[in-house]
Order: sequence, then structure tokens, then C-alpha cells
Amino acid sequence: MNFLTLFARNLRTGPQTEAFPLGPAFTPEKLRGRIVFNAENCEGCRICERVCPAGAIKFAKSPDGMTFDCWHNTCVFCGNCEFYCPTDAIHQTNDWNLAHVQADKFAMVEHGLIPNMKCSDCGATALNTAPMVKNVKPPLSEAELGEVRSRCPKCRAKYLKNRKVPS
Amino acid sequence: MGLIPNFKTLATRSPWLYRINAGSCNGCDVEMAVTALIPRYDVERLGCQYCGSPKHADIVLISGPLTVRVKDAVLRLYEEIPDPKVTVAVGVCPISGGIFRESYAVLAPIDQYIPIDVNVPGCPPRPQAIIAGVAKAIEIWRERL
Ligand code: SF4
Ligand code: SF4
Ligand code: SF4
Repeated sequence: MNFLTLFARNLRTGPQTEAFPLGPAFTPEKLRGRIVFNAENCEGCRICERVCPAGAIKFAKSPDGMTFDCWHNTCVFCGNCEFYCPTDAIHQTNDWNLAHVQADKFAMVEHGLIPNMKCSDCGATALNTAPMVKNVKPPLSEAELGEVRSRCPKCRAKYLKNRKVPS
Repeated sequence: MGLIPNFKTLATRSPWLYRINAGSCNGCDVEMAVTALIPRYDVERLGCQYCGSPKHADIVLISGPLTVRVKDAVLRLYEEIPDPKVTVAVGVCPISGGIFRESYAVLAPIDQYIPIDVNVPGCPPRPQAIIAGVAKAIEIWRERL
């Protein structure tokens, strides 16, 4: 709401107290709040970890793959991670209601896992990340995307190199 | 029934709030002032009010990452607040250090020095979030009294 609309409304009805916490609170659509992560879309570039000014995002290797953790208690809701993420795997919601008791301090975490898989070509173990194919021309079809995704990074590069481009 | 239980029910209706600025950037302090002073948010609906002296306080709101320079003053102030008290950490600064984490000049997280009961993350948190935190603190305070 810009200030003129607010001004007009206040002239008409006067300022009002919000019902919260006894009722719902007004929440702008674009409010920068809690971070959510979608492991399905993540390509594992770790740009978000690098650009996060508060060091809230940590990736770590585990036996099952690569884990993602974002601690809401150090995140400053700047939106850098969403801005730099190439595949829209990380999003800022407008959820602001994060007040919690001390016992839950270390439970305020957004957790995700990029699982391991076996490469469908060479059989090596690799992370099941989303392929980095944004700039591939012509764009890949659904079937091709699945093919690329099922391979390890080396075989992905080979697949894209040998791809027959229909002219 | 003696006099004491009646005093208790009376006293639990209206806690006093007290603010400590442990080296915050002032973002959180502005939001806390807004929470109390602007009719739109009005924390006094919950029966609480800011007070000017630590000796009257029941619920303490702490903002800021506890800079090395203010540490002694903050700890002394905190000692002056009578028990039972409930402590609310406002903003990510006192909770973890937030944007100043791992700086040589701050001693965050503040719970190494002061026992914290409620955390309100955000940089700064919305006034509504602070109200939600105060509401949680009041619940804890009633149990403690
Ligand atoms: S794809 Fe997005 S969420 Fe995944 S590592 Fe890169 S920046 Fe982070
Ligand atoms: S919003 Fe900013 S502080 Fe929070 S996780 Fe993303 S980059 Fe880090
Ligand atoms: S949490 Fe953010 S707004 Fe609050 S004192 Fe720290 S840096 Fe400032």
C-alpha cells in the first residue's frame, strides 16, 4: 500500500489497531520472511551459501548425498540467496511468525537433501542435482532432461556434446 | 485462602517491559518502540507497559549482539532486574549474532552470558512478531511467578 492510499484510508476511518495476536495480522504479499528450499530444483552450485551475508546456509556431504541447512535464527531475510539462485530452488516466503521458546532455538532450520544416485551411463555415484542446462540451445525436451539428470557430471557433459542438434 | 494467591492473580495481569540495547544497530529498537507507541500495534493491549527502571521490570527485551564494549553495563543492568524475570531476545543479533556473527567485536550469542527464554528472529522482526514473542513471554512469566 503506498502512503497516499494509507493517508486516504486514515482520513476516512482513522487509524486502527491490528487485531493480532487475537486475530489475523496483515501480511504484505512481498514481505521477506522465512526461507524454503526445494531440493528437486537445486543444481548444487552452492552460490547461495557463498552470497549469504549472515552465513545462514550450509551445505555438507553426508553418506546419502549433500545436505542443505538454513538456520532461520541467523538469516537476515535479505533475499540474496533467492536472487542469485539460477534454478529457483530457494525461495523467500512471507512467513514472519517465527517467535519461539529457547528450547526450539536449534530446531529453527530449513533442511533439505540432494540424494546420491548411480549414473545411468558409467555407474559412478553422483549427486542427483538438477542439470545446468539453462543456456543450452535449442532447449532440451522433457525426455532429454530426464536423460541428462540421470547421469553423473562427466557423462552429462559427454551427453550434451554428442547431442544431435536438429537443424 | 490467604492473601498471597490473590496478590499473585493481580500481579500476573500486568507485567512491566524493559528494554536493553546490547549494541544493536537500532533497527530492532525502532521496531520495539513502534510496537508500544503506535496505536496500530499497541502492545499495551496485552496488559504490559514499558518502564524506565530495571528495578520495576518483569519481562526484559534484549536487542543487539552484545558488543564487547557494552558487555559489563548490560550484565550489571540485568543483575538489577528482580527475579522472576523472563528474557526475550529480539532480532537475530542476540540469538546468534546475525549479520555480525563471528566478528571480533561482538560476544554473541548472548545466551552464553544471560539465560534467554524466548527468541524472536528477524532483522528486524515485524512489530507483530515482537508482540507474538511478548505473548509467549507473558505465558512463561505467569508460570514462573
Ligand atoms: S541451485 Fe540455488 S539452492 Fe541450489 S546450490 Fe545453487 S543457489 Fe543454492
Ligand atoms: S535471505 Fe539472506 S541471510 Fe537469509 S539465507 Fe538467504 S542470503 Fe542468507
Ligand atoms: S537483528 Fe538486525 S535490525 Fe536488529 S539489531 Fe541486529 S542488525 Fe539491527
